[in-house]
Amino acid sequence: MSDLRRGLTVAVAIARKDAISELRGRQAAGSTLFFAAIVLLLFGFALGPDSQRLAEAAPGLLWLAIVFGGLLTMARLHQLEADDGAFEQLALYPVDRRAIYAGKALAGAAAMLVLGGLLLPVVAILYGIPIGAAWLPLLAVVVLGAIGFAAIGTAYAGLTVRMRAREVMLPLLMLPIVAPLLLAAVKATVATLGGDPLGELGSWLQLLVAFDVIMLVVGAGTYGFLLED
Amino acid sequence: MTNVEFVIAAYGVILGGIALYTAFLARRIRIAQEASHRLDGDVDEAR
Amino acid sequence: MKTRMLGFVALIAVVGAAINGLFVVPADLNQGDAQRVMYVHVASAWLAYASFGVTALAGLAYLVRRDLRLDALALAGAEVGVMFTAFAIWGGMMWGKPVWGVYWQWEDPRLTTTALLLALYVGYLLLRRLTDDPARRAARAAVVGLIAAVDIPIVHFSVIWWRGLHQGPTIGDPSKILNPSAPLQFVLALLAMLGAFTLVWVYLLIRRYQLARLEWHLEDDARRGRVEAARRGAVGAVGVEEPAG
Repeated sequence: MSDLRRGLTVAVAIARKDAISELRGRQAAGSTLFFAAIVLLLFGFALGPDSQRLAEAAPGLLWLAIVFGGLLTMARLHQLEADDGAFEQLALYPVDRRAIYAGKALAGAAAMLVLGGLLLPVVAILYGIPIGAAWLPLLAVVVLGAIGFAAIGTAYAGLTVRMRAREVMLPLLMLPIVAPLLLAAVKATVATLGGDPLGELGSWLQLLVAFDVIMLVVGAGTYGFLLED
Repeated sequence: MTNVEFVIAAYGVILGGIALYTAFLARRIRIAQEASHRLDGDVDEAR
Repeated sequence: MKTRMLGFVALIAVVGAAINGLFVVPADLNQGDAQRVMYVHVASAWLAYASFGVTALAGLAYLVRRDLRLDALALAGAEVGVMFTAFAIWGGMMWGKPVWGVYWQWEDPRLTTTALLLALYVGYLLLRRLTDDPARRAARAAVVGLIAAVDIPIVHFSVIWWRGLHQGPTIGDPSKILNPSAPLQFVLALLAMLGAFTLVWVYLLIRRYQLARLEWHLEDDARRGRVEAARRGAVGAVGVEEPAG
């Protein structure tokens, strides 16, 4: 079996394991989704009741909720291994670190995609955003955002999960890094919902893709050093 | 022009900050060197 | 020591550049005296970025070579960098209030980028502080430093586009000073401050590196002291048990 084949097998196996534990531990994933929904609700109380203002703020609020929920998600995906001491065991096996990273990042992206996708109807209802025909490009933006967040989230969650003060370290490290992702995702969301009058959507999508690619490459390259811990 | 206050604030904080940091480093280096000499002294005494 | 001489030269250079920027060079026609802030603001920003370049490269080199001296250099870069970043933001605010009327301007890409730079590297320093094992600390810090450095260009483009893909520089644009049509005296004043600050920067990096090495040795001695004590304790315990066994 070639190295690539073996790597892919490992990655898929890890992703599948994470997906199963996510589905089995339904409470945890569901709780995170509910938390994000409550955040959206609270934004309504903080910025409302003017529905015009909320409608304008909606894309930003959506992505903030995704980011906050995402922090919990990425931490959770690494918590299981940390508790079991599986990281140390993984480090012993002669498996390509990048394959392990790929598997975790894939699981993370999938979890983020589910989170983001399920928050779309919540935002549509709470802030009165007619999504309609824009749902497909909107979903594409969510996919790109999910991949980028998971790419950096996997690396940083792996780093912080065994640390002191881990609850604050993951957000502290992640939030500045994802600032451009947040910015671009919100702008792209605005463009998809508003018909893109300025023709900006292409540029923002490019930025998202660039972020995703760069973070995936750097994440894969450095994950091994974090496992050797 | 009240701009002068801002110029003074800018230069004051920045140049003053550099000076403070320089002094801070000097002090910490001195403390570390003294601690290090004390440790070497202990080793010599043990011998 | 050569370092001390460098320190003195840097001191003289900074004093000279400051006198030049404050008293010798004339005020700007439009911005007035606020223009003088630009010299320290731009110089600080330049060295902030340089510092984080050092941190990222030293960290990368550490991952390759596992030499803890490289980690010490990375730490020096980050701490000095955080300081210059804070200065750059402060300078930006001290320039912004008289010129724009506000301390903060979301539409200024350099201010927002620098603020993120500060956040990134404060996180780096906190991460280091919360990790005790030197090798682990060095590896984690190297990864974070690398990722942060890679993020900066992305941030740069995103905030520039954020301001408006079709909008050119506004009137109160700080980068005007780097414009080829700026008066020669201003450009020279900026270069003088930049040169002086660079000397200071090198001096501070060296000193912070020295401190890091000293503190690492102390840390290492303390750790070995504990190991020795534990070993001695274990031997003692075996000695006590033998007669009973």
